[in-house]
Amino acid sequence: MAVLEGAVVYSNLLVLLSIGLTITYITTGVPNFAQGSMAIFGSFVSLSLWLLFNIHPYYSLPISFILGGGLGITIYTLVLKPMIRKEAMVVTLMIATLAVDLILLGVLGAYSDTLAELTGKGTKKFIFTPMDFKFAGLDAILVVSSAVILLILFALFLLLYKTKFGIALRASMENPALAEIMGVNVEYTRLFSWFLSGSLAAVAGSLLPFRQEIVPATGAIIIVSIFAASIVGGLGSIYGALIGGYIIGMSESLVTFYLSKPLGPSILLYSKVVSLIVLIIALIVSPKGIAGLDIWRKMTWRRSTSS
Amino acid sequence: MAQEYLLLDIILWFSIYLIVALSLNIEYGYAGIPNFGRALAVLIGAIAVGGVVNRILILLLGIEGRGIIETSGTLKSTVNAMISQNPLLGLGILVLCLLIAALMGAVTGALFILPSAKLRQDYLAITLLAISEVLFLVSNYNTSIIGGYYGVSIPDVLAFVPGERRFLAFALLGVGIALLVYLFVERLLTSPYGRLLKAMRENEDVVKAFGKNILVLRIKTVALGSAIAAIAGAFYSLYSVNVIASTFFRVDWTFFPFLMLLLGGMGNNRGVVLGVFSFVIVKVLLIVYKFEIKSTLHLPFEATWLEYILFGVLMLLILYYKPDGLIKEKPVTLTPPIKHALKQKAKETSGR
Repeated sequence: MAVLEGAVVYSNLLVLLSIGLTITYITTGVPNFAQGSMAIFGSFVSLSLWLLFNIHPYYSLPISFILGGGLGITIYTLVLKPMIRKEAMVVTLMIATLAVDLILLGVLGAYSDTLAELTGKGTKKFIFTPMDFKFAGLDAILVVSSAVILLILFALFLLLYKTKFGIALRASMENPALAEIMGVNVEYTRLFSWFLSGSLAAVAGSLLPFRQEIVPATGAIIIVSIFAASIVGGLGSIYGALIGGYIIGMSESLVTFYLSKPLGPSILLYSKVVSLIVLIIALIVSPKGIAGLDIWRKMTWRRSTSS
Repeated sequence: MAQEYLLLDIILWFSIYLIVALSLNIEYGYAGIPNFGRALAVLIGAIAVGGVVNRILILLLGIEGRGIIETSGTLKSTVNAMISQNPLLGLGILVLCLLIAALMGAVTGALFILPSAKLRQDYLAITLLAISEVLFLVSNYNTSIIGGYYGVSIPDVLAFVPGERRFLAFALLGVGIALLVYLFVERLLTSPYGRLLKAMRENEDVVKAFGKNILVLRIKTVALGSAIAAIAGAFYSLYSVNVIASTFFRVDWTFFPFLMLLLGGMGNNRGVVLGVFSFVIVKVLLIVYKFEIKSTLHLPFEATWLEYILFGVLMLLILYYKPDGLIKEKPVTLTPPIKHALKQKAKETSGR
């Protein structure tokens, strides 16, 4: 049971990260290699607030959300926007996000050393699990991460489908050129998507230490799972990212756990191999991901014609 | 002595990184394949030395011990003693290592690029990065392949050279290998094959229309590039007389080669040489004066982090202000008949 709980928590966090990655891919067309480090940024925000001001990581989520969003906007306006203006190629933009990832790694590493010196505690590796408590018989992290997912999905749904800004946003995701002609400011939607991507990543990062140990380079490791989740989902659809996140998160945790019973615990090292295999199968079966499968198009088509 | 050491260090790193950057230039600079998994081929080269050649030697010499980590230690002292008596044996092992590395690199590269049959550029880059990262994690945590983060020992192939000359000998050897690779790559890329790669980079459909199979061309190119990069990995392992999986981190063997390539200028080998040279000087100086930098700037953290920030920012500056690099790629040289035909055409159009 504890394994399943852990798998759900991990999947929840992966969904947050892959939704963020997908939404910036839709609006700017760049797969963001810095998404993992943006999450670790959130982990360090929570760690600092805990060490310096004694704020429990659950209460620091709103602060993480806002600071992470700020980071997302900074990356977009300082790095990507000027390059997109110069009509840089996609590969150039991807290399730019790799560079951003490296800069973030350097900054986080330097900050981690500095924080250790300031507080006199070892912060090279940290984990929040001892701070977790039981809530209605379940680990609080399970409740909190699920609540965060539900809240964010609900807010996203309201925003995208019930407001004028949401319509403009969806229009500029579908067809930026046409949306621009119709008077939508595509720049706002890009800014918004980077804010959202950064803030979701930071929230996931604040919760991640409840599940695994964090070092500044953790971002480089989890990026594989994030990309696997987004690509399985199709890299172009928020629902796809949602489903992809659960597929990858569940298979990574559960497959390795069940394999470890007959094969021994050494197999647990191979969790990322599982996501790679799922990723490659997904690419062979349906290169456009789950959201690109024909069944969905047929279903939506039927719905729209019958109504 | 310290200055001599610094110079040799620069020469060694220059040779190793030049080989890797040239291999990336074939794949990305010429053929336009965004290989974000360059580190994998370098790691394969290290595995060829630490995992394969080591095991062959252990079998041949009948050395016993528990696990590859311990046994390789015994192997190292035995073989070192043999090499110091018989230099030819050392050179033989060196050639064997480089050959096996190139072979394994070529096979891995050919398999590694297969997803490109179905994927667009950005999907491809992500997939290659993911494959490389996962294999890095596996070889880092599984200690039975090449000892993982503990590492394995490797015989010193130049054990017959007296201790104080060893560094110089390796630097010369490195420059020799790098020079051979440079001449080979230069020769290869000025041939019709090189022009075909550039054509594929510019417009795949045109190449297809001329009856070339894009996938076969890609497989050949990445196999070749990976073989060359694996040679660099093997040489690096032979020089450091051990293989530690955690040194094959993405930053060092994928990001930095891209940085050198973009700094020097893609698609021309002279640019790559210049890019590698400038990068290595900065990098070696940063490593050598790490503690001095830390103490004079009163940094409360390791200078490595500063190095990451610096190189990350440098990359962004190059991408924004100098996307062509220090030396710009020259247009393809035309053969006289084509030049003549173009002139005729120009005359016709101006005459009209």
